[in-house]
Amino acid sequence: MNNQTRYPVVVLGGGIAGIAAALELTRLGHEVALVEKTPFFGGRAAHLCCKATDVCQKCGACLVQERLKALFQEPRISLYPQTELLESSRQNGLFHLRLQQQPLVINPERCVDCGLCQEECPAATQGAIITTSVTQNHPRYAVDPAACLYFQDGSCRVCQQICPPTARAIDLEQPEKTMDLAAEAVIVATGYRPGDPACRSHYGYGRHPQILSGVELEERLKNGTGLVGPDREPPRRVAFIQCVGSRDLQHPYCSQVCCGYTLRLARLLKHRQPEAEITTFYMDLQNTGRDAPRLQAEAHREIKVVRALPGDLRAAADGSLRLRYLHEENAAAVEAAFDLVVLSVGIGPGADNAALAALLQVELTPDGFFQTSGRQQYTETSQPGLFLAGTASGPRDIAGCITQALAAARQASQYVQKS
Amino acid sequence: MSIARDLDIILAHGPELSAGGLDYYKLGLWAAGLPKSRILALNPGLPAEELAQRLQAFLYRGSEHRVLLAALDPRLRARQIIRLLLEEIRINPEFLGVLDLQEALGYPDPQACSLKAHNLIRLAASMLTRAEPIVTRELPVNSRVLVWGDSFAALKAAVDLVNQGYPVLQAFPGPAFKPLIPGAPLTQPPGEELLQLTSQAQSHPAVQLAPQARIIEVQGSAGNFQVKLETDQEVRVETVGAMILAPEMHLQPGEAAASLSPHPRVLTQTRLEEILAAPEEAKDLLGPGAPSLQVAFLGADSHPLALRRALDAAKKFLARDDCRVLLLTRDAKVGVPELEGELEEAASSGLIVVKLPGLPALSLEGDRPRFTFFDPVMHQEESLACDLVILDEVYAPAAGNAAQAELLGLFPGPRGFFQVDNVRHLPVITNRRGICVAGPARGVMGLDQALAEADAAVSAVHQLLGRGRAEAPQGRAVIDRGRCVLCLTCHRLCPHGAVSWDNRAIINELACQGCGVCASQCPNEAIQIRNFTDDQVVAAMETLDPRLTPKIVAFLCQNSAWEAYHGALKMQQIVLPLGFTPLRMPCAGKIDIDYLLKAFTYGADGVLVLGCHSDNCKSQMGNEHALWRVERARTMLEEAGVDPRRLVFRTLAANAPRDFLAAVHHLAGLLQEVKAA
Repeated sequence: MNNQTRYPVVVLGGGIAGIAAALELTRLGHEVALVEKTPFFGGRAAHLCCKATDVCQKCGACLVQERLKALFQEPRISLYPQTELLESSRQNGLFHLRLQQQPLVINPERCVDCGLCQEECPAATQGAIITTSVTQNHPRYAVDPAACLYFQDGSCRVCQQICPPTARAIDLEQPEKTMDLAAEAVIVATGYRPGDPACRSHYGYGRHPQILSGVELEERLKNGTGLVGPDREPPRRVAFIQCVGSRDLQHPYCSQVCCGYTLRLARLLKHRQPEAEITTFYMDLQNTGRDAPRLQAEAHREIKVVRALPGDLRAAADGSLRLRYLHEENAAAVEAAFDLVVLSVGIGPGADNAALAALLQVELTPDGFFQTSGRQQYTETSQPGLFLAGTASGPRDIAGCITQALAAARQASQYVQKS
Repeated sequence: MSIARDLDIILAHGPELSAGGLDYYKLGLWAAGLPKSRILALNPGLPAEELAQRLQAFLYRGSEHRVLLAALDPRLRARQIIRLLLEEIRINPEFLGVLDLQEALGYPDPQACSLKAHNLIRLAASMLTRAEPIVTRELPVNSRVLVWGDSFAALKAAVDLVNQGYPVLQAFPGPAFKPLIPGAPLTQPPGEELLQLTSQAQSHPAVQLAPQARIIEVQGSAGNFQVKLETDQEVRVETVGAMILAPEMHLQPGEAAASLSPHPRVLTQTRLEEILAAPEEAKDLLGPGAPSLQVAFLGADSHPLALRRALDAAKKFLARDDCRVLLLTRDAKVGVPELEGELEEAASSGLIVVKLPGLPALSLEGDRPRFTFFDPVMHQEESLACDLVILDEVYAPAAGNAAQAELLGLFPGPRGFFQVDNVRHLPVITNRRGICVAGPARGVMGLDQALAEADAAVSAVHQLLGRGRAEAPQGRAVIDRGRCVLCLTCHRLCPHGAVSWDNRAIINELACQGCGVCASQCPNEAIQIRNFTDDQVVAAMETLDPRLTPKIVAFLCQNSAWEAYHGALKMQQIVLPLGFTPLRMPCAGKIDIDYLLKAFTYGADGVLVLGCHSDNCKSQMGNEHALWRVERARTMLEEAGVDPRRLVFRTLAANAPRDFLAAVHHLAGLLQEVKAA
């Protein structure tokens, strides 16, 4: 067993909430360990695109950037990438966390992010070497032992051999590490999982390339991989369908962010391509941002907003997608053709929530998010010293995540000082 | 005129520099030839002790080390050296230039790579040799805090502040605390914790209460505000170091109320709650023997919290089997935790939800109100008589916020709330240091979030006031008192309220955020922003190398474009024009017309000005100033016979490196057109 390292606060989750909480804790004078399951920091919010037309639309995606930069320059935050919680126990108020870190095969001191390893990896399509578009991360490549051939049977060492001799950054024999951390307080900021776009099977997600989830659309716009309609031109007729993975029997809650990102993305598409016709199908339009009436009035001018969830989607022979819905004014069935259909997926509970909650001995809500305790405790849980930040405890936008992270950091700081 | 001083250049060469195709030996020789410079080639992979020894042996004696650290990805790879320089050798952070040579690696010709790298070093060196130290100093500040308002967020802020040792002056407009629980019936008594909060704020000796107060004047800035308060007894001036604004919202009649005269069967949500809370009155409505009712709730679609209030009352009627309860609404706003479940539950116990494109027409037919509307589900005109109609109410910002924002020098927020709608200010800061907002001051929100914001605001105040002593960078913006003619352009333009005056303008160091909007607009060139002085910018432009073409001088706002530029460098296979010369600016508002014109006189083919998107500027107006100046410069260029297309202004976000590349390529394309023409 390794020596136990002690931190006043350990933050689980390296997304925007975890980063904001960790940075605030250092400002309050604490050393922090930031534990992230994936090899890269920034979380899902770092993959969202800027939705400014020429005017900022206040989505908050750019807020991740400066915080990420600050994170990598902050010496009082110890970063634990590719690390998961294995066990947790409490003695005399201290959390004892056993963490498992996957082998850090690529040496950050030597790697130059040339990307040769990924290009040459025979199992790259299975995800053996993964990369990130969040460029502050370094290295921006990581080996996933679950998919890497070397870790399966030792049969392949291509990446190690191909790594330029001046760098020689890859060492496949790096061991997996188990670490024991002691912490006086823990902040859970493990985030969410986007709703499954295939959960509404009648929308045919996965069966047609012109059907995207909202998350995919964001990524394409961010990475500039572009949108192509059936005729190789940019899609001219675009439909957004709301409430995919929210407000149904399996997900009896509103994800709060989808109306906002849909209207902003729709306006962005319209701005880039003024001749596009964009339609949003919705149940109830939720408030979007601090100046919701203004954003919605602007959106209504530029895009068509239809209160109806299409009942039927099929691909037509001309390559378009046909949606059928009931017209609100005269209740007649209408069929409309689109080049691109975007399913506005919501915020679902994190995949590991149940396991994590069991390890940390806290409760989940019936929807599968972490339960805050009492109505007035925005960040506290039933475990004293264990705090919540971000979407771990339910849907919220980037600004909401940061607010809650700041509050959690202050609560944790006060808890640490008291104990 | 600033003096160029000695500079130590450290070239951190791992194996990766040569891997990238750079000849760092040649680079070292070239750099050694720069004026006033010495160079040390250092492998950052050496053990820390040896690194420290070598650095100590190399650096100039004394405390005024100006050090340029050039490496590939230095923040990561040369982290150890940076740490040693800052923490062990303790050089001034302003004197450490960190240069990423990544940009030089993209060119196919190794000679071009090295030349480009040399030019990057030369550019950074020219700025750094003229750098002046910024020393932070401790300023005494008033540790008293004004909490404005009596919302629960205000009460929590006050209690938390006094618990951290800050005396609090709590001023609010009413005669006594009257906090709201958003989303709950007005008659609902607060829970134990909230009661405790109220009594603590009321009775804590360090909380001074000023009921029935009005702020009529504010002087001073962060750390030392003089607030003139008017109460029913007196007008007094209070000195505080910071303020937290958290005035309570109030309820306003919704849209439907406007068209109606008072009627006994038409109630406001508040009146209904009063009736339901009074046992005698409620009995007539809900008790045994009460008549069966058709009740319609109208609207409740301004905010999920308004819907929550309506549902809470609707449930009381639904509990009776013989009541028919309708909700006529435009949108069921359920975007707060658990409300979707509550709505579903109400629907399953009989609530009829009718969603309409607009609120229905309401008329009085005899004694009873009647609605007419087109029902999209039944597909027919509906006419509906009701026994009781409940008009919704809207959560609205405290009256007088707008006037107060003007008094306080704050940019107005959306819909009468405080805090301008600019994500840079999220969650709780404003354009003026020392003035924070929380909860109902900045928007309609549930109690949970309001209290969390109170936490964040208290943290922000604590970080500013630090129990009576604040750290401020000294001389970040300097006024030449010999040149100042007290025109007060700076005072008018400063977005942060940092400029005051005696017989010359004075910049408050604690409030100044160094954006430089004042410096570039000062008609007499009396203001310089330290380390972005005119001398430095001109010296940087002098480094333009005729061998590197096309020569593009880019002024990059450090809050967006500079980040996007660095993001772009890390994208795969990016090649910027060889003569691309990036100049970091503290804000686009710092860009002077002079800079734009001088860039051309120093031989630039094109000039690129990149700032933040509109509404996204950290200093709110900096990007607009930049745009105006670019437009002005373009007319001047045209008059001088220079093609104005050679000067381009664009806005972008920090997370949009592709927009940065698009802007550079756009200008490069234009330059080709201009050249061909």
